[in-house]
Amino acid sequence: MTSIGIIANPASGKDIRRLVSYATTIDNNEKVNICKRIVLAAQGMGVDEALFMPDTFMIGCAVQDSLENDGVLSLALGLLDFEIEATMDDTVRAARMMERHGVGCLVVLGGDGTSRAAVKGITDTPLLSVSTGTNNVYPAMMEGTVAGMAAAAAALMDDPRECCIHDKKITVRVNGEVRDIALIDAVVSDDFYAGARAIWDPERIKRIVVSRCHPATIGFSAVAGAYEIVEDTDDYGLAVSLGSEGEGVLAPIAAGVLTPVRVSEARRLALGEEYRFTAETRCMIALDGEREVRVQPGDEVSLTVNRDGPWRVVPRKILARAAELGMYKIK
Amino acid sequence: MKMMTYAEGIREGMSIRMREDPNVILFGEDVGKFGGCFGVSMGMIDEFGPERVRDTPISEGAIIGCAVGSAATGLRPIAELMFCDFLTVGMDQLVNQAAKMRYMFGGKISLPMVVRLPAGAGTGAAAQHSQSLEAWLTHVPGLKVVYPSCAEDALGLMLTAIDDDNPVMYFENKVLLGMKSEVNSFDPIPLGKGKICREGEDLTVITYGKQVYDALEAAGKLAEEGVSVEVIDLRSLYPLDKALIAESVSKTHRALVVTEEVKRGGYGGEISAMIGEELFDYLDAPVVRIGALDTPVPFAPVLEQYYMPSAQDIIVGAKKIL
Amino acid sequence: MAISKEQMKDMYVKMRRIRDFESTAAKLFAEGKIPGFVHLYLGEEAIAPAVCECLRDDDFITSTHRGHGHIIAKGGDLNLMMAELFGRETGYCKGKGGSMHIADRDKGILGANGIVGAGHCIACGAGLSAKIRGTDQVCVCFFGDGSTNQGTFHESLNMASIWKLPVIFVCENNHYGISMSQDRHQAIKDVADRGAAYNIPGIAVDGNDPLAVYEAAAEAVARARAGKGPTLLECKTYRQHGHFEGDPAIYKPKEEQAAWMEKDPMPRYAKFLVENGVMTQEEVDAVDAQVAQEIEDSIAFADAQPFPSVESAVVDVYSDIVEEVRDR
Repeated sequence: MTSIGIIANPASGKDIRRLVSYATTIDNNEKVNICKRIVLAAQGMGVDEALFMPDTFMIGCAVQDSLENDGVLSLALGLLDFEIEATMDDTVRAARMMERHGVGCLVVLGGDGTSRAAVKGITDTPLLSVSTGTNNVYPAMMEGTVAGMAAAAAALMDDPRECCIHDKKITVRVNGEVRDIALIDAVVSDDFYAGARAIWDPERIKRIVVSRCHPATIGFSAVAGAYEIVEDTDDYGLAVSLGSEGEGVLAPIAAGVLTPVRVSEARRLALGEEYRFTAETRCMIALDGEREVRVQPGDEVSLTVNRDGPWRVVPRKILARAAELGMYKIK
Repeated sequence: MKMMTYAEGIREGMSIRMREDPNVILFGEDVGKFGGCFGVSMGMIDEFGPERVRDTPISEGAIIGCAVGSAATGLRPIAELMFCDFLTVGMDQLVNQAAKMRYMFGGKISLPMVVRLPAGAGTGAAAQHSQSLEAWLTHVPGLKVVYPSCAEDALGLMLTAIDDDNPVMYFENKVLLGMKSEVNSFDPIPLGKGKICREGEDLTVITYGKQVYDALEAAGKLAEEGVSVEVIDLRSLYPLDKALIAESVSKTHRALVVTEEVKRGGYGGEISAMIGEELFDYLDAPVVRIGALDTPVPFAPVLEQYYMPSAQDIIVGAKKIL
Repeated sequence: MAISKEQMKDMYVKMRRIRDFESTAAKLFAEGKIPGFVHLYLGEEAIAPAVCECLRDDDFITSTHRGHGHIIAKGGDLNLMMAELFGRETGYCKGKGGSMHIADRDKGILGANGIVGAGHCIACGAGLSAKIRGTDQVCVCFFGDGSTNQGTFHESLNMASIWKLPVIFVCENNHYGISMSQDRHQAIKDVADRGAAYNIPGIAVDGNDPLAVYEAAAEAVARARAGKGPTLLECKTYRQHGHFEGDPAIYKPKEEQAAWMEKDPMPRYAKFLVENGVMTQEEVDAVDAQVAQEIEDSIAFADAQPFPSVESAVVDVYSDIVEEVRDR
């Protein structure tokens, strides 16, 4: 049996960046629509089962009701059975359960934060990340039909990793203990509370560590990207310190917001190399855009980039490979 | 002396106060360039600009609610509902908010607001654009209700309505809008003061709005038959000029109440009950009411004319008690 | 927009005042001291204090039937509130309004409101007024998830958007419209989504975290003051009690109630303040003691006030008509 897992985060895409910038809004009913297209495309390619994460908006149920009502659902659509906490932990848990179940591809709908949570729950399941969040770096904007086809191809193929990139990730340690991970960026700000969670105020940002960066992405990784480009295939990361001195760069730190930022220091981080600093004041480390890790004065912080992240499906590549394998031929 | 249409009287009343006080504004559906559905505010946008003569979306609840909120915070808004029939859509804001706020809040909030309400049948507009709904509003403590019948009263009552610190419901009769009459005074007309349009000895007709003219026509015909009819135009429905009614009825001993509304539950019933309760000793005959047919307003002109109370109906009513 | 430690403390004081006022109101209602209905703000204390922290005295708010919290947060006087709940002559409304109709024009409080969905339009009016009068005042409209199914909500968001009114629509999503849970009463989970239909930024924050609410509200207020138009700010929270006192809330699942009690804003915020050195535990205790005394004092004040004379029933129907309304 070939199955795919679908995690759609009902909470993505409503944070404060809609107020402080011009961020995209995708409501939950549209997420349901995207999921319908994923399911139908995967079913069309020959996937037998789609497993959904349960969530507070009941996206999986809405997809099932609608497609059954239209008489177009033929694959087995299931919902993981667990008690919802309505936090990011649901995503971690669902990803773990899906990997254990043996899904051939995990499709995640949300923003950078949702993908980060999913990655915490998987080891080697191919991941396809679809953007429904806040103008993200990690998930890609793509049509649900394409996503469904790509996920199906990954699930049906013997070695989908040929069509994936093995991503880097950032490990955050405080006083030697692993506290969390980030896929794209870990940003140190002098906030000391999570507040509205998202970060958007460049005045408060002191340091940025990225696994990859490019000016064509939105967020604080773009600050590093405006300074030096690091591709997902490069075997290093970048660490940037901000300050009132230093070279000024213009970076798209939020949707529609190009802000001048001064970079006082920037250096490459080899894979496995620790970027260390001692916190002088209380601060927060934002991971992929959300304030997550609280740091007290005197804490020893270390950030390390390694190529130990998820296997990310490259849709165009896998769909081309699917053609070579004759997956579109009518049997 | 100046000749003005009823619509011009309304417009002039609004304009006078808007010239004097930047806090007086007018808003409603299509009141701007379009000039209001009946042209009453035509040209005002040119004088006062689109901020103060403001087109609103078709949202009656928000229109009246905006009047409530802006009146509570320093403006003296005039809100227009295109037809008084649309009251149904914004009724909560009038009845539960505008009318009650001063009282509920122990007198701490004033709502100096005017709601303009074009009313009445005779335009072939059928059942949802022709009603006379004044009884709904006179029923509500906290609201004041006026209903002018000529240009001078339209102007003077508008001035007073704007000056009043309470929500004033300002009915405008649609078939009177184009009617010209003399305006001798540009002064405010106090609320609660009716006027005698024709003096008489044998019977008092108490009315307002368009029926003032029907009553005068009937009075003319009855005079030919030797009956002397006194016609009172109430102008204000609340507060009500009870003194004027008492004075007249104690002279004529007969009262006929004429309104365009359907009689059941109508304001005419309130007036006639008041006369029965307070002036019984002066009456030589029962108080009679004349209203519209007890139906929705029909469309076809022949039906609509039949629906509305006419001078002939008034004559018939008068003869019942003469 | 950075928040100062003083503001953080001030929010705590107001949250504590609300919690104690409401807990006391619940007790007094059960004892029969308060007539009528009371709808309590218990569980939602993080919202109004955080939003009002972003406001000036001359800014406006519109409130709801669940209004005590808004009024306290905007600076309402506890003595006058309690006296009003007791139906006394010297209460906020001279005993004519009660719990659901407290207003204080001098503090910009345009009234609690017994009609669900009525405040939205009134807030637009206040916003229009500020715009026409050329001030930079703003109006915050507080409302619940239930009211977003009223036509007035949609009319008002549309009007505020096209006129760029300085109105901040703050939805306190407590997940219930009376007894009907949000997933039963509307086909969306995030009221914030409705902003997009009116070209208004719609954002959702943790309504049990005053710092999250403050950050968002501060940006929304700044945006409104700058003439950039309205914001729809949804604060996710939970109504810890029933719809009104006396409602046993049998329709609320026990697990749901328990999960939200874990997220109770009061202990959570106090813990944050102490852990991060904003306040010491002693300072927190001192605030608690001081607020407890304020509430005690308000009860004593209210108890000592006379009932209104029946003569006063005819006053304030109109500004100028008094004796005429005595007729019955």
